[in-house]
Amino acid sequence: MNRQWLRLTAIVAQREIRQRGRSRAFAVTTIVLLLVVAAGVTIPAIVARNSKPQRVGVVGGPVAAATGIITEAGRLTGTEVTVVPQPDLAAAQAGLRSGDLAAVLVSGQEVVVKQVAVDNGSGGGLPSAIADVAGLARLLGQLPPGAATSGVALPLRGLSPPSASLSRRLTGLFTVVLVWILISAYGSQIAMGVGEEKANRIVEVILASVRPIQLLVGKVTGIGVLALAQAALMVAVFLGLGAAVGSSLVHGAAPGIVICGAVFLVLGYAFYCTAYAAAGSMVSRQSDVGSVILPVQIPLIIAYALSYTVIYANGANVFYRVLGFLPPTAPVAMPVLYAAGDVPAWQAAVSAVLVAAGTVWMARTAATIYGRSILRTGSRVRLRQVLGRTPAA
Amino acid sequence: MTGTSTADGTVTGQQASLELIGLRRRFGPVLALDGLTFSVPPGEVFGFLGPNGAGKTTAMRAIFGVVALDAGEVRWRGQPAGEHARRHFGYMPEERGLYPGMPIGDQLEYLGRLHGMTVAAARAAAGELIKRLGLQGRETAKLEALSHGNQRRVQLAAALIHEPDLLVLDEPFAGLDPGGVDDMTEILAEQAQSGATVVFSSHQLDLVEDLCQAVAIIHRGRVVAQGPVAALERGGRSRLAVRVTQDPAGAWARRLEVGLATVETVQDGTVMLALAPGADSQRVLDAARAAGSVEHFSFATRRLSEVFRDVVGEDM
Repeated sequence: MNRQWLRLTAIVAQREIRQRGRSRAFAVTTIVLLLVVAAGVTIPAIVARNSKPQRVGVVGGPVAAATGIITEAGRLTGTEVTVVPQPDLAAAQAGLRSGDLAAVLVSGQEVVVKQVAVDNGSGGGLPSAIADVAGLARLLGQLPPGAATSGVALPLRGLSPPSASLSRRLTGLFTVVLVWILISAYGSQIAMGVGEEKANRIVEVILASVRPIQLLVGKVTGIGVLALAQAALMVAVFLGLGAAVGSSLVHGAAPGIVICGAVFLVLGYAFYCTAYAAAGSMVSRQSDVGSVILPVQIPLIIAYALSYTVIYANGANVFYRVLGFLPPTAPVAMPVLYAAGDVPAWQAAVSAVLVAAGTVWMARTAATIYGRSILRTGSRVRLRQVLGRTPAA
Repeated sequence: MTGTSTADGTVTGQQASLELIGLRRRFGPVLALDGLTFSVPPGEVFGFLGPNGAGKTTAMRAIFGVVALDAGEVRWRGQPAGEHARRHFGYMPEERGLYPGMPIGDQLEYLGRLHGMTVAAARAAAGELIKRLGLQGRETAKLEALSHGNQRRVQLAAALIHEPDLLVLDEPFAGLDPGGVDDMTEILAEQAQSGATVVFSSHQLDLVEDLCQAVAIIHRGRVVAQGPVAALERGGRSRLAVRVTQDPAGAWARRLEVGLATVETVQDGTVMLALAPGADSQRVLDAARAAGSVEHFSFATRRLSEVFRDVVGEDM
C-alpha cells in the first residue's frame, strides 16, 4: 500500500464526496433528517412545559403539615404541586372560582374544589388524593409534623433491578433509527453507484489505471465520510437543541449511549458497505440493484423491527440478546440493548470486537466478489460463480 | 522475433509498439479469443476489423488488463504491458464509459487525475479538449444532457485527456453521421502523426478501409488476414473489370477459353473476371476487343469485405 495506491484511492473518494455532496438529493435529505430530529426533540419538550404545576391553597392549621399532605398527594398522582397559603377562606374561594387554585385544604378538615366531579370518591385526581391523605393524617391523630413529607406510602420493592427510564430507551430508539437509516440509505447508494459504474462500462475505462480494490475502498470511504458527516450533524442538532429546550430525551442521552451508538454506526457501516458494493457489482443493469441488495438488508430489517420489542418491554428476550452479538445484526441490536440497560458495557464491547472481526471477513469476501464480478457483463452474476475455489471464467 | 517486416507486411520485433501474442480466452462454451496474434507498428492508425462477435472487444479489454486471459500476452514496446504502461494508454469503449450525471469538465479532470495528472494539468487539458471538440461553454453540462454525437466527443476526450501513447477505440465510428466520421478520422490521424499508436475496431470493413494504413481482420477469435490495406486489396487472385459497348450482357466472356479466366458477375454491362493464376490478362483484352469496342478494362482491387469473404468463405 504505497503512496501511489493511496493517492488514486483518495481521488476516487474525493469524486464521491464532491459529486454526492453537491447533489440536490443530499441537501434535501440532510435538511429533512435535521428537521425530523429537531421536531422529535422540541415538540415533546414544549408539550411537557405546557403542563404547569397545580396550585393548592391552604387555609388554617399548621402550614408545614398541610404542605406535607399536599406534596404526598401530588407524588401519588404524579402531579407537580405548589402550596399557596391563603389568608382566609374567602380569598381561597375567590382563587378557586378564578381558576388560580385547583383545590383548597381547609384546616386539615376539608378539601374544597370549584365543582365536585360526578365520579367523586372512586376516581383519582389531585383533590381526592389530598382528601385521602389528609383523612389518613387525621385518622391517625397527630402525625408528627413533617412525617408525611417522607411519604406515608409503604416502600415498593422490585424483584429485578430497576430498568432504564423511558427517556433513556427513547434515546436508544433514536440511535437505532439513525444507524438503520444511515446504513440502509448509504448502503443503497453504494450499490447503486457500483451498479452505475458497471452498467455504464465506466469501470472498463477506470480499471485501466485503477485496481478494483482501490475503486471499492475509495467509493465506500467517500460515501462513508458523507454518512458520518450527516450523522454528526444530526447528533449535534439532537444534543444542542435538546439541551436548549431541556428535553428529557437528551437528558437520557447518557454519554455511554452516544458513544455506543457512534461505535456501532461506524462498525455497522464498515460491515455493510463492502457487502452492498459486492451486491451492486453483480448486476448488469442498474435497475436490478434493488433486488440484489434485499438479501443484504434482511438482517438489518429483522434487528430493526424487533428493536421495538426491547424498547417497550421490560427486559430483552434471549433471541434479541443473541442478535446483539451476531455481526450482521449487532450494529442495530446492540445500541438498543445497551440503551435499555439490558446489557452491561463490557458485553457491548465484546459485541463490537465481534463485529470488527466480522467486518474483516466481510471485506475480504466482498472484495473477492466485487473483483470477480465487476467486469462480467451479460446476465446477472451468481454468487456460486464468483465464490468457488476455481471460479468459472 | 526478429525486427523485420514479413512478406505479408506485418511488422514484428522491435518495430512493433503493440503486440498481442497468442491471446486465448474462453467464456463458458464460447471461445472468444483463439490464439489471437497480431502486432501494430508505432505511429499508425491500425484497423482491427471483424464481424460482430469476432472477439474484438475482448481483445481490446485484454490490452487494458480488464479481462483475465487463459493464455497469451500483451506486449508494449517489447515489454509485457503492465500497470505502468497502461497508465499511458487511452481507451474509448464502444458505449458509454462515463458517468451520465456528472458534469463533463469534472469528468475529464477526474480521469486525467486517475492517469497521474495533477489537478491543474488535468483541468487545463480538459478545457483544451473541450474547446478542441467544439464543446466550449458546456463544461458544467451533465453528460446525459448532451446529444449522442456530443457524448461521443466527450468519450473521445476522456480517452485523450492524458495524451496517451496508445489510443484504443472500440467501434468509434458506430452511429456517427458523415460529419462525425470526418471529425473522428481527422483526430485519429492527428494522434498518429503526433506519435501515438492508434488502434480502432470496426465491423464495417468497407467504411474504414480508407482510414487506416494497416488492418487485422479477425474471425472467431483469430486473425484471418492482416497487413497494409493496399497489399490486402491487391492480394488474392487478380480480377479484371471489362466493359464492351456492344455486349452489355457479357456473352463474349463466357466464350473465353478454359483456364484463362472465369466470370464472377455481370453488372451494368461490366463483367467481373477472376484471372486464372499465371494467365495473361492481355489475352482477355484481345478477346474483348474481338467482341466490340472496349470501354473499360482494369484490374479490380478487392474491398476489405471481399478479402474477408475470400478468406473465411462466408459473408460478414
